[in-house]
Order: sequence, then structure tokens, then C-alpha cells
Amino acid sequence: MKRELGIYLTLAVAAVAGAWLLFVGLPQWYAEPTADETAEPTGMATDGEFVEATLFYISDDGMQLVGFERRLRREPSLASQARRVVEAQLAEPPLPLLSPIPRGTRLHGLYLTDRGEAFVDLSEEVMLGHSGGSLEELFTVYAVVNAITVNLPTITAVQILVNGTEVDTLVGHVDLQNPLTGNMRLVADPDDAPTEGEDLAPLSTTPTTTS
Amino acid sequence: MIKPTVHVRTPVQNTTHMLNRRLQLAAYGLLLLAVPSPGQTPDQALTLVTSEGRDQLQTVTLDGRRMVALDRLTGPFDLTISGERRENSLTLSRDDQVIVLTANEGLVSVDGQLVSLPSPPVEQNGAWYVPIDFIGRALPLVSDEPLELRRRSGLVVMGNIRVPQVVARYRRTGQQGRLGFMVTPAIEPTIEQQDDRFVITFDADALDLAPTNLTPDSLVVGLAADQNRPVVTVELGAEFGSYSSVVEPALGNAIELVIDLKPVAPPPPEPPRTTLQRPATPPPAAQPVPQAPAPSASPAPAGAPAPRPAEGDPDLPALSELAAPRAIRAIAIDPGHGGSDTGTSGPGGALEKDVTLEVARRLRNAIESQLGLRVVLTRTSDTNVALDERAAIANNNRADLFISLHVNASVRETATGAEVFYLSLAEYDDAARDLSALAAEPIPVVGGGSRILDIVPWEMAQLRYVEESARWASTVADELSLRLPMSPRGLQQAPFRVLVGANMPAALVELGFISNPDQEAQLTSPTFQTAIVNGLLRSIIRYRDEAARGFMAPMPLDPGTPETATPPGRLQ
Repeated sequence: MKRELGIYLTLAVAAVAGAWLLFVGLPQWYAEPTADETAEPTGMATDGEFVEATLFYISDDGMQLVGFERRLRREPSLASQARRVVEAQLAEPPLPLLSPIPRGTRLHGLYLTDRGEAFVDLSEEVMLGHSGGSLEELFTVYAVVNAITVNLPTITAVQILVNGTEVDTLVGHVDLQNPLTGNMRLVADPDDAPTEGEDLAPLSTTPTTTS
Repeated sequence: MIKPTVHVRTPVQNTTHMLNRRLQLAAYGLLLLAVPSPGQTPDQALTLVTSEGRDQLQTVTLDGRRMVALDRLTGPFDLTISGERRENSLTLSRDDQVIVLTANEGLVSVDGQLVSLPSPPVEQNGAWYVPIDFIGRALPLVSDEPLELRRRSGLVVMGNIRVPQVVARYRRTGQQGRLGFMVTPAIEPTIEQQDDRFVITFDADALDLAPTNLTPDSLVVGLAADQNRPVVTVELGAEFGSYSSVVEPALGNAIELVIDLKPVAPPPPEPPRTTLQRPATPPPAAQPVPQAPAPSASPAPAGAPAPRPAEGDPDLPALSELAAPRAIRAIAIDPGHGGSDTGTSGPGGALEKDVTLEVARRLRNAIESQLGLRVVLTRTSDTNVALDERAAIANNNRADLFISLHVNASVRETATGAEVFYLSLAEYDDAARDLSALAAEPIPVVGGGSRILDIVPWEMAQLRYVEESARWASTVADELSLRLPMSPRGLQQAPFRVLVGANMPAALVELGFISNPDQEAQLTSPTFQTAIVNGLLRSIIRYRDEAARGFMAPMPLDPGTPETATPPGRLQ
């Protein structure tokens, strides 16, 4: 009887520990660190902890995308870095920047293939909250595609999914049935949108030492 | 507008009446040139055009409004200011008709009818000023002749005279330029080249030429209407060489004069080459010498197949080369969105799906009645049609050209202008745009031998037409730019789904920004829609004619790439 009790107790402790590990421990260990993402340099440590990324917003005349550098926390893997870039691109930008992404759009997931493609799974708000114009649809799609391909050059193409499934288009124009490569023709000016090797240091998963 | 009136003139008017009308106008012209009162800004004068001649009506700007002094209107329009001036009001009479003006009151009583003005009359130092719209709104009601104010050109047209409206546009495309003159009502002009200018003469009394925002370049330096004759003068630039012109009928009792300008001497010819084209023959150095005994360590065994001719090189022809230009017999028009998919919408509530359907119907009618071509609409009513189905409808109906109509929107209210798109390959991932994966396949046929069969995935049908689509889209952008406001990037490439499956040259047009209140009003107006239809109609005519001539020039595939060479064989 005492022995059975001991077994039950051991099993119970193991179950509790397992549950803790499953629901608390692992999510905590794998959770994204909540870094302070600000549009302006904050004077915080720059010893490899943060990276500059170019994100894309709507120009003053509404006819182009404009690239702006923002500071993001450096991540340990390509996939997690890509996730951080997309989340920053989806986030509401500080005024007076205007986001090309419909408000409330969330990132469900991001997957990489060994062919250098990224699959970005967005929430349905990206379709439901859209104004419906083709220019803005181009802006929405290419803000996401460019944010990844410009900042993480090892990813060459991006396919957007909505709620985990493939879609033809967001609102009737831009073909999302295939992975798309970046499109800098929609971006205002090379000086405003730094390209690789120039003003912007492309993000990399290989550790770099910065002073 | 013409009112029968009994002419009972005062002795003073009788004296004036005896003068020659031209002298009379000249006398008033001198009056009008008088220096304006302090505090007023003199403007460019209006031009009064009658069957007798022309004269100037000086205007002034008061509080930002363009006004004309009332006593300067009395002579030309036979008006008399009443002797008794009451406080804040003034009475004008013409024969037995009376106009009552009230200072600071935007409504004017004209022979018992109330007429609204954009701003009230102003009394200043005993002189009365009225907005220039008074001439166009109030005076016709008391005039016994037709009277019209043409604001854009600053003309006041009186009498049964012919003053066509002329809208001039100029567009430079690479080495060449194109001038377009839309003339309403249709009056055919004559063109004469005099040294370094064109003199375009209309059989009319005067011209209502809208101001033209022409950017001078090496072909065209300037364009202006003659002040005294129905003539438009085009000053030509140093590089102008030759021209050709054509007059086309346009909708709405209008004609269009199109003048194509060519530079004086084409640049030295270079072999035409685009990314999808190969030179017709290999360079001489690479060509094997025919009949020469080729030294060979291992001679070909007897019965071995003969070596393939040079043109049978292993690399197969690009897909675009396989698509031969064809006669244009049927046009597919795709009115964007529909049914529960309303597309975008304007601040006034106009819906994209309604605008596109209305324009598509007008375009269909115009093509069928004026060109006699078969037209296929991908939807004829307010219904949902999937994007791939739209391309399939065009394919199944064997359309030769595809045009998808859309309306744009922006979060920035100021965004404006039309844009024309054709499919881009650049943004597709390598696997999707790998042309070699779509190579032709030799298939054995009955009786021996084989035949090359193209195996192209349905959803990539457009790939082989990208070059022709670039030409088609460029033609549409050219023609629309003569008639509509264009966005700064009028011709673009984008991976638009509806174009992907079209098995013919295909373009998508964004007609304007419905999110802009001005453009919303334009896009829903019959006049603007007629201009769109005229532009598209003219595009089809041009593309059809150029296709029939076999497209002499290769088309740059990237709209952002400047032309590097004028290919030989292009227009003189």
C-alpha cells in the first residue's frame, strides 16, 4: 500500500513537472525576448545585442514605399530574426510614419525552407482590414517581402499565407500563389532605402563583433 | 439662350449703334486698359470674340476672386446702369430686361430669375465689380445672341460663331514624341511646317485652347494659340527631323489630331537585342566556314545524322519568340471585382466594381460600333468572378488582347492619376519564372519525324507574351496620358494574378484614385469615362495596326530602363 502510494506520488510529481515543463518552462525558454524596439537609437548597448533593419512605410504622397531604419534585438537564429523583422514591420509605426499593413494584422508563424524561401503566415486582418486598392496591396505585400529579403539576404523569396493557407491574392490583385522576390521599384529613393552593403548592414545570423 | 427682344434704344445708344461695331469694340478696349484702382491686382484680360472681331475685357483680382468692373461690361453687352442707385443695390437694364445686383449678396435677379454667383458683387469706391461668372451665367439670359464664358482659355464667345475646344497633350517616348490635339466639336485642322514650327490652322472663328503644361525638350519647345487667328503654333526643337500625322474620329462629336515627331537622324544602328531575343545569326567569327574540310580526329561514321545547322543550336528559342504577332479580332475586357467583392470605394460612396463595369460597357459599345471587333466581357453584371476564371474566359473565347479595368485607392488623399501594368517576371521566384523549365518538347507524330509542342503550365500562360504585353501596356499608357491625369509612374510591372493565366497580350489599367474626392467625381462622370474609352479605343487601333505591320521595334521589357538604342527599321 505504502509502495503504491509512493508510485502514485512519484507519477503525480512527474506529471506536474511534465505539465510545468510543457506549459510554462518550454514556452518561457523559447519565448521571444521582449526587447525595446524604438524608432530612434536609445543609446542602449550596441555590442552586438541590436541590429539595424530597414522597414517600409508609405511615402508622404502615398505613391511609394519609403525605407526607414529601425533598431531590433539580434536573434540567435535566422528564423527568429526573420520573425522579429516581420513583427516589427507589422507593428504600428511611430507618427508620422504610415504603415502599409492593415491595423491588427498579426504574425501566426514563419517557416523557412532549405531553398531560401520564407513562408509568412499572417492573420486574416491583412485581408479584412485592407482598403482594396492595388497600389496599397502592392505596398502591403512588398513591405513584408522586402523587409525580409533586404535585411536577411540569405532569404531570397517570400510567400505570404493567411490563417495558415495559401491565397490567390489579398484583395484581388497581387499574385500570392508563388514565393515573391523583393521589389525595390516601389521604394522611393535609394538614399532613403539603404541597400545592402551601403548604409544598411544586412542582418546576419553569424555572430559579428561590433564596437 | 436667345431671347426675342424689342430693341428700343436711347439717343445715346443710337449714336453708338451707328458706329462700326469694330470701332465700338476698340473704343471699349481702350477703356478696359485703364489702370485699375489701388488695392486691386490686374489680371490677364478675358478675350471677347464676336463675328466682328476680338477685344479685351480687363479683369482684376479682389479678395482672391477674379472680377470685372461692371461699367466695362456695359458697352460690349449693351447694358445701361440705372440712374437711381440705391444703397447696396444696383440695377442694370438691357432693353426692357432688368438685372438687379445687391452688394455682398451672391444671388442676382435677372429678368425675374435668380442666378447664383460664386461670390457676391463688390462695391468699392462707387464702382461695382462682379465675378467673371456673371458674364457666363447672368448675361446670356438677357442677350439676344448666344453668349458663353470659356474659363480655361479666358474667352467670352458671343454670337453664332465657331470656337472649338482644343486640348493639347505632348508625350515623349524615347527618341520620339507625340502631340495630340482633341478637337470638340469635330473641326479638321490643316498642318503646315514653316521652318522650325508647325502652323495648325482650324476652320473656325477662334480657338478655345486649354492651357498646356508642356515640358520643352529637344523636339518641341513650345505651343501656343495665336491671339488673332484660329491657329495653334508649335515651336519645334533642334532635334526635330520629320513627322507624320493622322486624324481619328473620337467619341462625343470630337476628332483627334495625332502628330508623331521623329528626331533628325537616328542614332547609329545597333543590333536589336532584349533579354528575350537572340541575334538572328551568330557573329561572323563564331560561324563555321561552310564546306571547309573540318579537321577531325574521328570522322563521323557513315549514316550518322548530319550536323545540326547553326540555327538549331541547343538553346531553344525564347518563349516570346514562339508567340507570333497575330491579327487582332477579339478583345477581352475585364471589369475588376464585382458582386460581394466591391473592390475599393471613394469618400462619396462610389464603388470600384460599378465604375469598372460602367467603363467596360462603354468600351464594349465603342469597340463594337467603331472597330467592328468581337468583345468578350469577363462579367456583364454585378457578379463575383474568380481571377483565374477571368483569364479562362478570355482564353476560351480566343481573345487577342486582354485589358483589365480597375480603380486605385490610397490612404493619402492626394494620390492621383492612372497607371498601366503588365506582368513582371522579376518578382517571381526562380522556379516559377525559369523559362527553361517551360521549354518546347519534341513529340513524335504519325508518319515519322517529330513536332515541337510547347508545354506551358496553364497558370504561366502569360510568360510567352510578356514582350507583347509590354508593348500593349505601353501603347495604352501613351494614349491614356493624352487624355487623363497619370500617376508619376504611368507604366509599371507587377505580379498581378489576373494577368498570369491570360494566353494573349494583357494589361491592367488603374483608371485613377477613387480615394481622392476630385478623382472620384471624375471617375463617375460620363465625360471622364468617355475620355477613358477614347484612350483605350485609340490604343487598340494603334496596337492592331502595329501588329499588322509586324512590330518593327523590340520593346524594352523594363519600364524603368531607358532606351539604349533606336533599332534599325523603326519609323524613319
